[in-house]
Amino acid sequence: MEPLVALAVVAALVAGATVLGLVWRAGQGRIRRVHASAVAIEGVDLGTGVTLLQFSSEYCAPCRSTARVLEELAGENPHIAHVELDVAERPELAARFGILQTPTTLVLDDSGRIRARIGGAVRRDLLSAELAKLTVAA
Amino acid sequence: MSRPAQIDPRGARFTAAITAVLLLIDVALGLVGGVAPTLAERVVQPAFVLLVLLAAIFVWSAAAGVARNPWSVVFRRLIRPRLQPPTELEDAAPPTFAQGVGAFVTLIGVVLHLAGVPYALVIAAAAAFVAAFLNAAFAYCLGCQIYLLLVRAGLIRRTAAA
Repeated sequence: MEPLVALAVVAALVAGATVLGLVWRAGQGRIRRVHASAVAIEGVDLGTGVTLLQFSSEYCAPCRSTARVLEELAGENPHIAHVELDVAERPELAARFGILQTPTTLVLDDSGRIRARIGGAVRRDLLSAELAKLTVAA
Repeated sequence: MSRPAQIDPRGARFTAAITAVLLLIDVALGLVGGVAPTLAERVVQPAFVLLVLLAAIFVWSAAAGVARNPWSVVFRRLIRPRLQPPTELEDAAPPTFAQGVGAFVTLIGVVLHLAGVPYALVIAAAAAFVAAFLNAAFAYCLGCQIYLLLVRAGLIRRTAAA
């Protein structure tokens, strides 16, 4: 291949990877509202209000920061509970809920209905606002 | 398994950045050089030599831990002493897992190039570049998705006691 053509391919590769990165980053921590019927999840005890069910894995750096944020939110409000599951220990749940990345956080209400789903590291401000709405509505 | 070491997250990003640049150079070399007709010629093609080197580094860091990756060592010896101390440390396991994925992908490129498969080296180096670049520029975490795919494919399973 001509060096100039090769250079153009390399530039296109960098540009494509940049677009991919921007799209990926924009989706991280976005809250998707879900309308689902109540689910019972074996081994998960629901909180009195909202339960933040976090799917984590061993090789996942943002899982640690997400766990920290969710732990803090749960510590500040007695009606919020945080439960963290390891996907390698509960692969059937990862399959059942179609988990494609860790961390993924499901927001469950007191009856066990999934109200929202967050893929990637949570953003504390976004989640706090969403939780305020949920706890007011409850 | 013992608890893995804690590392400076900036070191992991630095390592990914150097790796990404080298992989990109390899893509360019591979595009210009193509695939030589005989095995003896393919073994000494610059893109092949560089990819073997990068694959060896990936294998070493996956086995010994990312903290012993040569670029991580450069960061620790030369760069980190000039920076503020890190605000927080990170588990070494996720980037070490990513080094293993890098080893897998680049070794496929090495083997297929030896077999004379056109563009195999370029595609393998490009795939590894994308992962390393996303990691360096966007803090993308390869272990967050690939590991989960292995779990969901039934290849990895752990009991709660582990």
